[in-house]
Formats: sequence, structure tokens, C-alpha cells
Amino acid sequence: MSRRVYLDHNASTPVHPEVLAEMLPYFGEVFGNPSSIHAFGREAREGMDRARERVASFLNVSPQEIVFTSGGTESDNFALKGLAGARGEGHIITSQVEHHAVLRAARALEAQGFDLTVVGVDEFGMVDPDDVRRAIRPDTVAISIMHANSEVGTLQPVEAIGRIARERGVPFHVDAVQTFGKLPIDVNALGVDVLSFSAHKIYGPKGVAGVFIRKGTKMVAVQHGGEHERRRRAGTENVAGIVGLGKAVEVRARDMQSEAPRIAALRDRLWEGVWARIPEVRLSGHPTQRLPGTASLLFRHVESESIVLGLDLKGIGVSAGSACTSGNVEPSHVLVAMGVSVDWAMGAVRCSLGRSTSAEDIDYVVECIEPLVRKLRQAMPVGAA
Amino acid sequence: MRYSPTLVDHFLNPRNAGMMREPDSVGETEDAACGDLARFFLRVRDGRAVEVRFQTYGCGPTIAAASVASELSRGRLVDELTRLEAREIERALDGLPDDRKHAADVAASALRAAAARYQARRD
Repeated sequence: MSRRVYLDHNASTPVHPEVLAEMLPYFGEVFGNPSSIHAFGREAREGMDRARERVASFLNVSPQEIVFTSGGTESDNFALKGLAGARGEGHIITSQVEHHAVLRAARALEAQGFDLTVVGVDEFGMVDPDDVRRAIRPDTVAISIMHANSEVGTLQPVEAIGRIARERGVPFHVDAVQTFGKLPIDVNALGVDVLSFSAHKIYGPKGVAGVFIRKGTKMVAVQHGGEHERRRRAGTENVAGIVGLGKAVEVRARDMQSEAPRIAALRDRLWEGVWARIPEVRLSGHPTQRLPGTASLLFRHVESESIVLGLDLKGIGVSAGSACTSGNVEPSHVLVAMGVSVDWAMGAVRCSLGRSTSAEDIDYVVECIEPLVRKLRQAMPVGAA
Repeated sequence: MRYSPTLVDHFLNPRNAGMMREPDSVGETEDAACGDLARFFLRVRDGRAVEVRFQTYGCGPTIAAASVASELSRGRLVDELTRLEAREIERALDGLPDDRKHAADVAASALRAAAARYQARRD
């Protein structure tokens, strides 16, 4: 086995060489604590300030509205708990297809006494803005709806929901971890008050992310300590990581628009190749309102982990839509919310493409997946699931 | 790789996979928690399983466990197979990770069910 094909960019991406080059000095020469007032500290602070400006410019906001965190999960937890904590009690609205970082943070708040409404989605995984409108109560303290779903790639009608939130004066949080640096995001046009984003999905390093908090939005800190990040998130900043995040988003702003059609064409090539060769396969998610590089393939009557293993043995990295841990298997909560039946949902395989993906890679994957699925189906009792 | 070469080999090249025409016995187990399912077919001559085939729905280790179980049970007394333990299947796979032990359980249980059903019908 020599060929390796990585189709799991929604999970993580390799650090871009330009990003790495910009980060390296911050592990050595520029090592000061950005809170220190001496030259060592000031140099670190300058790198961080530049990164903050780059992120702000991408989102069309002011640098003072950006707070850096340790990851998308922290950003989502901070957003929900920060908004809820500022009111102390009330009602929260989110959707069934959110990332667990949002869903479980919302459940934790529910356990503390907040009321929670979890709106459903249609067969394409899309939230109906009218469902959000109907769910709003006088005491609603936050609405949290993701920008794009990581599993099926469906884009949510964030702009319409933002309009509703604004009309009713409810703070609106958007988990944009899967779209930040992939699609243009203008938080003003979208009516977003709080937005989570991350570095390692866009060729930046792991362990660094951030939150946009619109000026005037009432939020409490979740992590307490020093005066960092304008007292919104205590803890010495991950300077090298933040520098990497800033460079990553700058590179993405330069490259993303030319890259999106190329990646979308490769995604179509993958789906068409699979569809032409394999019976009983479906593409889940919205047909047009979707991320360019995400293909969630459903193979009926095959177990997804066996496909992932079979492809892994061919050097191909994809991810399973159902997870089996210690003998407990659950189909993806996203597919279940979309009403996908278990016999299809258990065979969900997500392929997410990226900047290095080539047409040869896609052809190789199609070539490997066809005999694999055929063989797995031979061993499987049809209709067993 | 978290799986042994033996397991990978059985996963990629499952032995005795597929249905059997007019088997002497069939046994099936479904793991309720994980949804994995294994079904074994036996052809019996003079009290011995002369042919063993399987169908399974499950993750890679489950397919491999059923495959290796079909091999190690062929030629053995059906009475003996009613007491087949998951440990034996796991050993034949050169081990299973802790979170995949159920693969051997499902295969062993289905095979035992097929053997027990044959014995019950004979008795």
C-alpha cells in the first residue's frame, strides 16, 4: 500500500506551509507572555493583534469583538453558557442537528434550570426559520443554530433566522466551525451576535479557535482568572496558535473562492462515480444548499465502520456516520433527525474533500469502494438491520 | 493498525460467507445494544459440522469473527459446538481490542445457537 488519500477534512486538516512558517518564530524567538509590558511581551502581543485583525477583517467586524479560545468546543460552550449566564434564567432554542458541543452544552444548561426547545429539521437536514420564530418566548435568552452541518454539509438559513432573532431582540449564536474560511461570512448581513470558529478545519493548528461577540452583547465569562481577552476569557493566550489561526484565515480569504468550484466538481465526480457503480446508495443532505466539499454517502444494508476499515486498508481516510463504542452503536443523531431509516443510516460514510484532493484521488476511492461494498454485502444478510 | 493481521485478513477475505442451501441447522444472534447480527448455517454428518457458513451484519471485527468461527468449527462435533466460547474465537483472531470484544460474543453465540438447535431437534 503506497497511495494515501485523505477525505476527512471536516474532521481536521494539515497545517498549511505558509501558516506553519508564520507560527515558527513564536515557539522560539518570540516567546513572551502577551500580557507582559516589556518588549518580549509586546512582540508576542503584536503577533496576536495582527491575527485578531485578520480574523476581524474576514468576518467584517472590529478586532475588539474577537475572543480567542482553545477550540470549537470551548467556543460553543462559552457562547451558550456565556449568553445564558448573563440572564441567569430563561429559555434557549437550538436544533437537533447541532454539534454535540452545542447540544450537550444546551442540555447542561437545561439541567441547571433553563428551558430548552430543540427544533427539528426537514429531510435535507435544514431548520425551518418559522419553527424558530414559533419557539421564541418572551424569556428566550439565546438561539443557537449552526451555519453548516459537519456530517451532511447542509447550510442552514442563518440569514432568515438572524432576521427573526433581531426582530424579537434575542441574541443569536451561530456555530460556524464548518464554514469559517470556506465560505464568505458577513456577520452583519447574517444578523449574528455570537459566532464560533476554529483553526484546524482550515489548515491552521489544533487547539486554537475563537468567538466573535458583537459589541453590546451581554455575556458572562465561563473561565475565570486574569484579565486576558478583555476579561472575557481568562488564561494566557496560545500565541503561536493564534498567529497560525490569523494566517490560516488570511490564506483562506485569498484562496477559498477559486477553490470552492474545483472541490465541488470533485465532490460531484465522487458521487457520480459511486452512484453509477453501486446499487442502493444515496447522497444525504441538501442538494444545493451545502458545503462544497462534503459528501455524505449512505450505503444501504452495509455497516459504515466496515467500509471505513476496508478503505483504511487501502490507504483512504473517511469517517463513519455511525459510531460503535464498546459495543453500543448509534446511528448519527443528524441522520436520525432527518428521518433517515436505520437500514440506510447505519451505512453512512462521510467523505470531506480539501485543497490537496485531486481527480486521481477521487477515481482511486471510487475504484476501491465498489468491490468493497459488493463484498461486504455478500457477507451480510440483506434486510438484517 | 489496531487490529491483528489475522483479523484484517479474515475481514478482507471472509471464509465461508453466504447462505447455505438446505442446511441441517440455522442459528442467529443479534446484539441488541450494537445492532450486530450473525447467522450460522450448519451441514451435519455423523454428528460433525462438515460445512459451516455464515452471514453477518456488523463492523469489521464482527465479520472477521464470524469468518474465523466458521473455520475453527468445521469438522468438530456439534455437541462440542454447543459449548463454544467467545474466547476461542478471539484467540483465533490473535486478539480483539477491548471495545470490540462483542464481535467474538456475537459469533460464538450464533454458532452455539445453530449447534443447540440441531441437538434439540435430534434429541
